[in-house]
Amino acid sequence: MSAAREPLRRVAVVGGGPVGILAAIALRRALPGCEVVVVGTPASPAAFADTSPTALPFTNKLHDRLGLAEIDVVREAGGSYRLVTRYAGWGGAGQAGTLAYGEVLDPALKTAFARDWGRVRLPGEGASAAGSLAEALAEQGRFAPPPPGELTPISAVDYALRWHPAAYRALLIRHAEALGVGYVQGTLDRVEMGSGEDVAAIGLAGQGMIAADLFLDCSGPQASLLAAHPAFAFTDWSASLPTRHIYRAPPAAPVLALEDRLTLTEAGWVSEVAGRDGVHRMLGTPAPLPVETVTALLGAAPNAVIALTPGRAAAPWLGNVIALGDAAARFEPLGPYHLDLAHRQLALLLEMLPGRAITSHERAEYNRRSVLMMEGVHELLALHFAGIAAQRVFGARELPGRVGEVIDQFLRRGRIQFREEAPLLSQEQFALLVALGWSPGLPPVALCAGAADEAHARSVFANDVRAALAFAPPYAQWLAQAVSSAPAG
Amino acid sequence: MGEAPQPLRVVVLGGGTAGWMTAAGIAKLLPGIASVALVESEEIGIVGVGEATLPHIRGFVEKLGIDEAAFMKATHATYKLGIDFRDFGRIGESYIHPFGSFGEEVQGVGFHHWWLELARHGLAREIGDYSLAVAAAKANRFRPPATGDGLASTYGYAYQFDATLFGPFMRDFAREVGVERHEGRVVSVERDAQSGDVVALVLADGRRIMGDLFVDCSGFRSILLGQELGEAWEDWTHWLPCDRAAAMPCTHATPDLRPYTTATAMPAGWRWQIPLQHRMGNGYVFSSAHLSEEQACEAIIAAAEGTPLADPRILKFRPGRRARSWSHNVIGVGLASGFLEPLESTSIYLAQMAITYLIELFPVGGTIDPRDRDEFNRLVDMEYDRVRDFLILHYHATTRDDSEFWNHVRTMQVPDSLAGKLELWRKAARIEKYSDGLFYDASWIAVYLGQGMLPEAHDPRTAMIAPDALARATERLRMAVTGEVATMPGHRDFLMREAARLAEAA
Repeated sequence: MSAAREPLRRVAVVGGGPVGILAAIALRRALPGCEVVVVGTPASPAAFADTSPTALPFTNKLHDRLGLAEIDVVREAGGSYRLVTRYAGWGGAGQAGTLAYGEVLDPALKTAFARDWGRVRLPGEGASAAGSLAEALAEQGRFAPPPPGELTPISAVDYALRWHPAAYRALLIRHAEALGVGYVQGTLDRVEMGSGEDVAAIGLAGQGMIAADLFLDCSGPQASLLAAHPAFAFTDWSASLPTRHIYRAPPAAPVLALEDRLTLTEAGWVSEVAGRDGVHRMLGTPAPLPVETVTALLGAAPNAVIALTPGRAAAPWLGNVIALGDAAARFEPLGPYHLDLAHRQLALLLEMLPGRAITSHERAEYNRRSVLMMEGVHELLALHFAGIAAQRVFGARELPGRVGEVIDQFLRRGRIQFREEAPLLSQEQFALLVALGWSPGLPPVALCAGAADEAHARSVFANDVRAALAFAPPYAQWLAQAVSSAPAG
Repeated sequence: MGEAPQPLRVVVLGGGTAGWMTAAGIAKLLPGIASVALVESEEIGIVGVGEATLPHIRGFVEKLGIDEAAFMKATHATYKLGIDFRDFGRIGESYIHPFGSFGEEVQGVGFHHWWLELARHGLAREIGDYSLAVAAAKANRFRPPATGDGLASTYGYAYQFDATLFGPFMRDFAREVGVERHEGRVVSVERDAQSGDVVALVLADGRRIMGDLFVDCSGFRSILLGQELGEAWEDWTHWLPCDRAAAMPCTHATPDLRPYTTATAMPAGWRWQIPLQHRMGNGYVFSSAHLSEEQACEAIIAAAEGTPLADPRILKFRPGRRARSWSHNVIGVGLASGFLEPLESTSIYLAQMAITYLIELFPVGGTIDPRDRDEFNRLVDMEYDRVRDFLILHYHATTRDDSEFWNHVRTMQVPDSLAGKLELWRKAARIEKYSDGLFYDASWIAVYLGQGMLPEAHDPRTAMIAPDALARATERLRMAVTGEVATMPGHRDFLMREAARLAEAA
């Protein structure tokens, strides 16, 4: 007869940034009998997940599941909403495109196979299929989060949250404290191995040892714990991801916008995330630049310069050590994939939560899926640098994994290959490719669709846009009201 | 829009189920891009396997714009909620593999973990009691699922139909959408001397059927892909030893109409019972290494519940797949490409899957890009291999030692891809996750638990709720299932509500 596994008694989370704290919250909620202690190691400016002012829609669902109310992020952490990201210059000077979230898809139709039978893309519909409703709202500055459990004209619009990173961390700390998560500040200076490949305890400089059943490495790109494990190996992504230097500017004047921007310039890419605390700007380049050039591109002198060697842990779970987010993979902050990856890996850990005794098969399955997630991000980023405009700036790079096939199938057939554990849904990836300047071919079935079908699809869409604009309130007005009204209860 | 390309001449060889599905699909969905001709010979019979289907068939029917009622009427179809597997894990035990889920995830922990914890305390009922699809099937009730996300939406359905009528139904449809039919036997195949591509099929009366793209639906003979192009066959007999079926229809023995297919394990294989509108389909799928054809025929006659309507007929097959299902300008669909026995009703699905990918990767304008061919083969192989592992599980997860056949499958070495899944289940009650292909978590759980393959340990979080509280919560779920089933009409009653879907009395 099957027995419930003996639960973890003690978990140590290395890293006191938002990734580590949310992981601690998640474990404490999942296992109320388990002692969870966060080891606050010195934060690295290269910990892009921890310093991120935003994530992807997945994070909203994870927050919700972990008791972190969206409205609290808005009220207490400077939260705001992003419906679209505008890409400019990736397909050459003057080219632009938009990425929105969500996928108009019957959840019962999960497979690529069923998807095709469920929905036919019509000629000319292209990237606007999923994105345009959000784009129309962003352009008109109208939005409020759709009420849950109610079918409204904007229910199909998915969105990402932004926040003030320090206030977001403070909000997470309040939640962690309320749940009884422990906290120790210190610097990791030794790792004591136990039986087999397990770590028995970690030592903090000038302090004692911390023993635990399971260790989560959320320490950022240095992976201070996982990299100290004897079985650690690193898979290098340098050959395919070209960004080597990241310049960060201090937040500039606040902007209230439903959109963010990713622009390719002649010197590198510039990322702009609008926030109520200010616009967060970063510049990524293949080589160091003079400070005047950087300042000109960022609109301010940089307050951090980060060198980057991209890659990932060959296996993010070794023995009883699991690396999440930046500790598992390092790559350029070209879009909010760092925190999204960390959160999807955390959700995977919750799904596959081990007992005190870890089995090699669950570790292997976790690593298989976690690696799929990381390689999914790797290939998605490589798409950005595959175009001629990007190659002029960053040089030609080899295309990792199936990137060559993805682009080929898209160009010739407008087809998106299904990929397990991908960071974006197929429709989102379709929109991204268009935004990056690739022009989709038509699928054979779409070649046969008549003009009447197309006209019908356009008129349905136009009606949907009208209904959405009529339904959604002015965003600024809604946000001001949401922030000022007293917290419920 | 650009100029319309010259229609590609597609020649489908073989007028069985796969052939007519292919012809109908391409002609209907790629008008102007493809012209379709089909070559078939009345001298050659069709195998006609696949009386039971998977829910995906509904997508195919809908996509082609076929009215569901007309389709059901023509094929004498009934509704199907799953398969009842009997005597597989152990003689006397049974379980239903539903087109639906068991219970619901609670606090991020899959229902089967909670069920295992309840079972440890002796408080669990059969896991099927917590599945609406299973409970409805057992009660012989049916109603199409609701939309939305409530309990009434937690299942899907397929059809059980007469495979020998489905092909002709698709043929009539295909003819209406412009497929040209050529009666005749292929005596030789003409190929381009340089490229090796097939150029034409030469029929016995001397006619040459020219084409740009050839779809081999010639069944096991695989005239183009196998015989002509010599595409290698990967044989899976070691894992799936059944290579024959003795099929025989009989009358219905009871007024009830089961909304499910029954698969009963037999000493040298298993037998199906598939209820159609006016008869019951029966068949004994067996391993010829362990049982003679005569013995199988006797066994199926003895096992039939109603009055036999015909003599048993023997079908021969072999499990496996071509190394490549698309080679040169020839694509295999159906048995010409691969075969997996009908234990999980996958035959028509596998043909439909190949047709779908062919349409998606169709060489518009005529030039076949090797990248599309590789992509097709990658997808087809993945689908076949996943189904294969799932089928092997049904034989391997057993304690039966009452025959040489069961001793072989119980003790055989399974593919590595399956061995890893089994260990993950045994040690941690977890399912290897994938979202592409067939058979997700609920299917694997149904078979593991249904065939008595209990894991050693399950999720640690389940022990944190007091067993009696857990028992009360699951009992509420079971009552909700029971209550929902009580509101559903009987399967036969529901079917009879609309005359449009009823076949003429046989």
